[in-house]
Amino acid sequence: MNARLGHLLVCLYPHPWRERYGAEFEALLQTGPGDLRTLANVVWSALHEHAFPTPGLEIELPEFQTWCVRAPWAMFGLAPLFLLAGAYFVACSVLWSGWRIFLPGTSTPFVPIDGFAVFYFGFGRLLYCGAPILIGWGIGLIAARQRYNAIWPAVGLVLIALIGGTSQVHASGPSAPGGVGRINMDLALGPSVRGVPDGLIHALLILSLTVLPWIILRLQQARSV
Amino acid sequence: MRSTRNVAVTEEHAKLGHYSDPPMLVLASLANGPKHGHAMIEDIVRLCGTRLGPGTLYGAIARLEQQGWIKPLPPEERRQPYRITAEGVRALRAKLNTLRQFTKAGLERLEAL
Repeated sequence: MNARLGHLLVCLYPHPWRERYGAEFEALLQTGPGDLRTLANVVWSALHEHAFPTPGLEIELPEFQTWCVRAPWAMFGLAPLFLLAGAYFVACSVLWSGWRIFLPGTSTPFVPIDGFAVFYFGFGRLLYCGAPILIGWGIGLIAARQRYNAIWPAVGLVLIALIGGTSQVHASGPSAPGGVGRINMDLALGPSVRGVPDGLIHALLILSLTVLPWIILRLQQARSV
Repeated sequence: MRSTRNVAVTEEHAKLGHYSDPPMLVLASLANGPKHGHAMIEDIVRLCGTRLGPGTLYGAIARLEQQGWIKPLPPEERRQPYRITAEGVRALRAKLNTLRQFTKAGLERLEAL
């Protein structure tokens, strides 16, 4: 068999198996025929080794990966939601504190700003806009690296995109002079553009941005196999 | 000289399939001395007519080694020879005894026909 083909076939096996038997198995493949029957036998055996690893040669999963298998709904559904809620809380806190520090006496923080306030509010805005995308990339990366079933990661991505697309921040000024204004968030589809709600368009945009790296990773994995 | 009848019987046997229990075939092959992968494949063909694919062979070798029924010897260039262990000999003997009992019982039933 062609040396290059032999090497590629050995790459189909899980890492611990390759570490132990890769060199001698490659040598055996190179001395034998490279016919279709041999190829099918090796591919099937490699798949079998992935599905039913030889005892003692299993891939040791890090703790979070075992959780992905045990409770995918928590890892890909709940955890991203908590992360997003945390990120929005920090973003709203930045907005509220910036309002008090840089814009005292104004009825809303959404007014033209300058100086250091630009960076301060900019950080909050970046967190608010970037959190759904970063969290979505995290979901995609974990799902792609461990070749996990795509259902729960997809549910997580759609949830994050919907929340990211429909979340809106509102500020209400102090009810009495010298009082403290309020920042609150809600989920709304917003005004429609040509019959399609604005929030849905944002959600689709976030979903596209977050799914893209996942698709690229899966394609790369497929090519490496 | 092979008769037409013999050829037909051989073809019938081929349709039934060869004996295929890869771990046992590997143990049986190693029972008369250490061998590397390619030598095992050829020996098993001579032994029972079954040609193990390289993936099947190494699947069996990996499991047998993890069970402690075979052990690797120092490599010869890129080839890795294996030898059967005492535990492997016991396992092979037990399996062959079971097969012998099965064969004996089966043949007795055929003779009674």
